[in-house]
Amino acid sequence: MASATQDPASTSPGGPGGPAQPRRALWREAGSRIVALREGSIILITIVVAVYFSANTSTFFSGGNLETILPYFAPIAILAAGEVFVMILGEIDLSIAAMYLFAPIIYYKLNTSLGFPLGLALVGSLIVSTVIGAVNGIFVAVIGINSFVATLGTLFTFEGLSLIISKGTPVATPGGQIPVGTFGKVFGAGTYSELIWALAIVALLQLVLTFTRWGVYTVAVGSNKLGAAEAGVRTNLVMIRNFMLCALTAGLVGIFEAIRSQTVQPNPAGPNEILFFAVAAAVIGGTLLTGGSGTVVGALIGALFLGILKDGLILQGVQANYLLFYTGLAVIIAMAANVYVGRVRRGRTGGG
Amino acid sequence: MVGPTSAPEDVLRVEHIAKRFGPVTALKDVNLHLKKGEVLGLLGDNGAGKSTLIKILCGFQKPDSGQMFLRGEPFAPRSVDDARAAGIETVYQDLALIDELSVYHNLFLRKERVHRPVPLLSNRQMKREARAALDEIGINIPRIDVSVARLSGGQRQAIAVARTVNSDADIILLDEPLAAMGAKEGAQILDLVARLKAEGRVSIIMILHNYVHVFQACDRVSLIQDGAIALDKPTSETSVDELTEIVVNEYRRAREAAHAAPAPQPEQPGPA
Ligand SMILES: Nc1ncnc2c1ncn2[C@@H]1O[C@H](COP(=O)(O)OP(=O)(O)OP(=O)(O)O)[C@@H](O)[C@H]1O
Ligand SMILES: [Mg+2]
Repeated sequence: MASATQDPASTSPGGPGGPAQPRRALWREAGSRIVALREGSIILITIVVAVYFSANTSTFFSGGNLETILPYFAPIAILAAGEVFVMILGEIDLSIAAMYLFAPIIYYKLNTSLGFPLGLALVGSLIVSTVIGAVNGIFVAVIGINSFVATLGTLFTFEGLSLIISKGTPVATPGGQIPVGTFGKVFGAGTYSELIWALAIVALLQLVLTFTRWGVYTVAVGSNKLGAAEAGVRTNLVMIRNFMLCALTAGLVGIFEAIRSQTVQPNPAGPNEILFFAVAAAVIGGTLLTGGSGTVVGALIGALFLGILKDGLILQGVQANYLLFYTGLAVIIAMAANVYVGRVRRGRTGGG
Repeated sequence: MVGPTSAPEDVLRVEHIAKRFGPVTALKDVNLHLKKGEVLGLLGDNGAGKSTLIKILCGFQKPDSGQMFLRGEPFAPRSVDDARAAGIETVYQDLALIDELSVYHNLFLRKERVHRPVPLLSNRQMKREARAALDEIGINIPRIDVSVARLSGGQRQAIAVARTVNSDADIILLDEPLAAMGAKEGAQILDLVARLKAEGRVSIIMILHNYVHVFQACDRVSLIQDGAIALDKPTSETSVDELTEIVVNEYRRAREAAHAAPAPQPEQPGPA
C-alpha cells in the first residue's frame, strides 16, 4: 500500500536517486516502477499463471501444447490490437465480429464467383472490411451516434448479410484445402503463421501508437476531443481512420481463421464470442474504455494470458466451465488495477 | 500612438462579424482591427462573446456573416491549421491541453517534429526544443516528460502560453492567459508579452478581466458589449475609471430596462 501511494515522480527513471538507498526502498521502487508500467501488472500475472500451470501439469511447456495455445491466442491478439485503437478513443467497435464473419465470405465470393486470384480476393475482402469500418467511423464521428449503438447496428447488419449471402451453408475456403499452398500457409494455415502475424501486427501498431502523429492524435482525441480539435487535430479523420484499422484487422483475422480451419463457417456464434474475448484481452492488458490511454502490447499479453488460462485449466483437468469465470475475474481485477495505476501515474488520489 | 488608424498598417481587421448559437446571439456586429506590433486588450462581461471572437479569428469557428482581412487580404480560414499556416496561434480559455500526453507532446501538438524519410516522432528533438523554449520564456516546469495532468493550474496555463509563443506566429491570441496564475507567474507572462512586443515581430490580442493588467500590458483596449465593440481607445487615453463607468452604466441601463423601476445601487465591478 505504502509503495504505491508514494509520489510517482520519485519512481521515474533518471530522477536523482538518493545516495545509498536502503535495500527495501530499492525493491519498493522497482516494484512500483513495474506497476507504473501500464503493461507491468499483467506481465507479472501472466508469468505467475504460466509458472503455476507448468508446476502443476507435466505438459504445459511442451511444443505440442504451444501449438494448442497459438490458435486461440493469436487471433484474439490481432483483434484486440485493432480494438485498442478504437478503445483509446473512448469508443468501442462491436462489429469486429461481423467483419470476422463477413470478410471470408467476400473472399470466397470474389474467388469463386468473380474468378479473382487468391491474393486479389484477399485484398478485395479487406478493402470491403475497411470501408465498413469507415462507415462505423462516420456514424460515430460525423453523425455523432454512440459507438456502442452504431457498431451494434453494423454488427447485426453484416452478420445478417453474411448469412444471406452464404445462405447459411459452410463452404471450403479457397487456398485452405490440402495440400495447402504457400498462400494458405502464409495466411493462416502454417503452424506459426498467425503467431507471426500477431507479433508483427502488434509490433507495428504499438509503433504507430507510440511513435507517430497518428498515435499522438489518437490519444489526444480520446483524452480531450474538444482540446484536440482546438489545437487543430482533425478529430473526425482520426476517429474514422481508427475504425477503419479496427475493421481491417478483424477482416484479416476472419480470413486467417477460415483458411486455417479450411471452412468458411457462416455462424455468428463463434465470432460473437471471440469479440468479447478480444475486448477482455484489451482490458486485461491495460486499455480501459475511459479514453486517452491504452497499449497494443498489453492487449497481446492479455490475449496470451487468456490463452494460457484456458489451456492450463484444460490440462489440469479442470472443467472448461471455469474459463469464463476466471476470465471475468481477470477483467474485474485488471479494471481495478488500471484505475488505481492510472491515479498513481497522474499523481492524484481522488476520483476523476 | 503614431499616425491615424489607416488600413495598411492593420495586420488583422474584421468587419461586421456576427455569430449566433441557436437562440443566443454571441456577436452581433463586431468591427475590430489590430495593428502590427500592437497589444490589444479585449474586455467584456462573462458571456459577452470574447472567446467566440477569438475562435472565429483562429479558424476554429466560422462567422455567420462579416469579413476578415489579414495583412490587407481577405481572410476566411477553413480550419485551425489554415489560420496557423497564416501565422495565427491561440491560447484557448480551456487551454486545449491533452492530459494523457506529456508536456513536450502538448507543446508540439499539431507541430510534431518527425524524422525523415520515415515520419516517426523525434521525441529527443522535441524534448530538447521544449526544454529550451520553456527556459527561454522563464517558465519553471521541473519535468517535461510527465503528463500535463500532473501539473498545477498555473503550470498548465504556462504550457499553453509557451505552445503559442514557441512558434512562427506573428499574430497571437490569448484568451485569459493569466486566469489561473499566481502573482509572480502572471507577472512573468506579462513580461513575456512585453518582450514579444519589444521584438516588434508579433501582434497580440489578449482577453483580460483585470483592468490593472490591461493598463500594464496593452497599447489599446476594446470593450465588447451587446455583441459589438462599445469602446476602442488607446490605453493612454482612457482609465480604469472610464472603463468601469461604461461597464456600470451598461449594467444600470440593463437593470432599468428589465425592471423599469428604481435600480438598486450596483456594486463597483472594479479590478478583480
Ligand atoms: N459552442 C457554443 N454553443 C452554444 N453557445 C455558445 C457556444 N459558445 C459560446 N456560446 C454562447 O455564446 C455566448 C458568448 O460566449 P463566449 O464564450 O464567447 O463568452 P466570453 O465573453 O468569452 O465569456 P467569459 O468571460 O465567461 O469567458 C454565451 O452566451 C455562450 O453561452
Ligand atoms: Mg471566454
